[in-house]
Amino acid sequence: MRNPLQILQRRLPGRRETRTDGGTASASTADGGESFLSRDSVRSAPFWLPPTLLIGVFVYGAIGWNVLLSLTDFTGLGTPDYGSLDFENYVVAFQGGTPSWSELTVDPIWNSLGNTVVLVVGFAAVCLALGLLLAILVDQEIRFENTFRTIYLLPMSLSFVVTAKFWLYMYNPQTGLINIALGAVGIGPVEIVQNPDLKLAAIAFALVWQFSGYAMVVYLAGLRAIPDSHFEAARVDGASTVKMYWRVIIPQLRTATVSALVVLTVFALKAFDFLFSMYGYQPGPSADILATRMVREAYSNGNWAYGSAIAVVLFLMALAIVSPYIYSQYKRGAL
Amino acid sequence: MTDREGVSRRRVLQGAGVAAVAGLAGCGGDSGDSGTNSIELLHAWSDGDGNAAVGALIDGFQEAHPDVEFAEEPVNGAARSNLDQVVTNRLQSNNPPSTFQTWPGKTLEKFSDAYADIEGDVWNDDLKNNYLEGPQTQAQLDGTYVTVPLNIHRINNLFYNQNVLDSAGVDPSTLSSPADVVDACETISQETDAVPFAQQTSGAWSTVQLWETILLAEGGIDGYESFTSGNGNRSEVKAALDSVVELSEYYPSDASSISFTEANTMVMDGDAAFIHQGDWAAGAYSGDDSFNYGEQWGQITYPGTSGSYLLNMDSFPYLANNPSPEATKTFLSYCGSAEGQVLFNKEKGSIPPRSDADVSQLNQFQQDQYEDFNNADNQPPSIQHGLAVSPAIATNIGSAFSGFLESYDAGATADALIDAFN
Repeated sequence: MRNPLQILQRRLPGRRETRTDGGTASASTADGGESFLSRDSVRSAPFWLPPTLLIGVFVYGAIGWNVLLSLTDFTGLGTPDYGSLDFENYVVAFQGGTPSWSELTVDPIWNSLGNTVVLVVGFAAVCLALGLLLAILVDQEIRFENTFRTIYLLPMSLSFVVTAKFWLYMYNPQTGLINIALGAVGIGPVEIVQNPDLKLAAIAFALVWQFSGYAMVVYLAGLRAIPDSHFEAARVDGASTVKMYWRVIIPQLRTATVSALVVLTVFALKAFDFLFSMYGYQPGPSADILATRMVREAYSNGNWAYGSAIAVVLFLMALAIVSPYIYSQYKRGAL
Repeated sequence: MTDREGVSRRRVLQGAGVAAVAGLAGCGGDSGDSGTNSIELLHAWSDGDGNAAVGALIDGFQEAHPDVEFAEEPVNGAARSNLDQVVTNRLQSNNPPSTFQTWPGKTLEKFSDAYADIEGDVWNDDLKNNYLEGPQTQAQLDGTYVTVPLNIHRINNLFYNQNVLDSAGVDPSTLSSPADVVDACETISQETDAVPFAQQTSGAWSTVQLWETILLAEGGIDGYESFTSGNGNRSEVKAALDSVVELSEYYPSDASSISFTEANTMVMDGDAAFIHQGDWAAGAYSGDDSFNYGEQWGQITYPGTSGSYLLNMDSFPYLANNPSPEATKTFLSYCGSAEGQVLFNKEKGSIPPRSDADVSQLNQFQQDQYEDFNNADNQPPSIQHGLAVSPAIATNIGSAFSGFLESYDAGATADALIDAFN
């Protein structure tokens, strides 16, 4: 792979040199044109320009368009009117009321926003803790290490639709494994799926089951990167196992934690598929998250502009989580 | 070496370019050939009885009109909501299909501007004289005929397992009000080990259609219609919810984890006595040779709603800017014919909306339902199944019931249901 590229690089400047030496162009244009064309940024344009354009149009362009759309009053079919832009949808999203584009009152998004935050924080914290624990256990040079690693990681390969149906069964009060386990310790069958006190926790639990394997793999890589000498030095200094991990090893897993956290929170923000497979369009007030609300507004009601406004809120939440990570990476020179 | 590599790389690029251009041209071609005659029908009946039904309808149509070409395109994913998204995208890009599967009634408001009038062309005197008033009203959007209903599923049924009722000593024909159903459930729970009332509660839809049936019983046709027009009587709405709360005591304990299919199987296996469902529930029974209508299972009109045939229908609308105007109208006329409807409903398990259909080919249960339909005093539209209220109000009602399933708070839900129209 590398060889043809190097050949190509060697050939390109070579051709230009011949052309300047030949003096085919006039001095003034040659100077201006040459300095522009020979800039590194211009010469590498074939490599960075196409992806930049593609990402710019299809990712940032789409985000920008979505923001623009959220400022319109677009509902139903037809084309949005970009002539009159205002922040009405955001006012409605946070205060409720009857927007100008609807005859019906629209509820504010506080409930689904709160559920989203609880789900993201609870899920990410438990998932990281469990992933770290699993990683430390798997790192003890146990037998069948690869088998365990695969078993823990396997749920992540399943789609949300499969895991949602699977957990619907797991939570069944009569035949589900969770209630059988609870029954074994004397806790009578508990209604979980439609129980307002347990619903969100049950969803977070199922997501933890699915993604803790991912956290484990990230942590395992982090642990393997720590030199054995650190473990040995801590041991020589007389640190207990708990103290060794707490004071020496875990502080070195900062990068692993942050990168796993970013991925996990983004997964949790997008848990729409899971909720939709479990409850349909209406997960109920105690489990409604921004993603389900957004799809309901956009696709059930055709309130495209309002759905876009909710999408922008969701986007800002994701950005708030990702940007500190990007910034810290940038400060450390890792970007 | 390098030269040859360079050439091959260029060739690859040229090839890719040609392919890309061809692909673009192909895309353009799709929307460009609007002059052709072939009908593009989008539906979500990708398996089971629905697929057999639409297949029978199309076969019948092609036999009657061999000159009309058909490009049937089932939308994969098989959910109606998914189909709606596909149609939305097609309409947004001004590339409508010939027709698609949709609920008639207020659901039509979702794409209201996209439909065109077919009165005269399709809705001629023959159709107008032979559709009963209820289904005929549902075919109209603000008084304009835009769609052709082709089947009716009834919502206000109560199915039962005969053996379970016998061992509990309950005679279904004596039940005359929603309260009687609750009393019968109590008797069944005392006399047998069976679950009195099979129901699923992971999704809200089964509960909404149960509530709307009981509302029809509590408020009568007038109370039901005033609710769907936004002037509901709170005490009637709450009384119906109270009745659902009472029935919920007799649900399976794992109602929130099971699906409708599993709930229905409980009735077939004798693990449950009653189930309230649309008459698609009977479709599963007919697939079981040891579970026969009139012997092992039976059906009564939900107690308190006799004289009403609560409608859930599917229909094919006519879209403006149609890619195949004449062919589509020919097809819709066929859908409006007794012949086409019998072919479709024989497989679907529902009944034809035309009152003059020859239903002797349908099974006994369908024939009994059809007789009920023709003798019904009124045919109110279903709330859950999109006929009675506009999509945004239906979403509000769904939200109210998703809260109801968590708390079973009849008072708060009644307020939310009345508020759903504001």
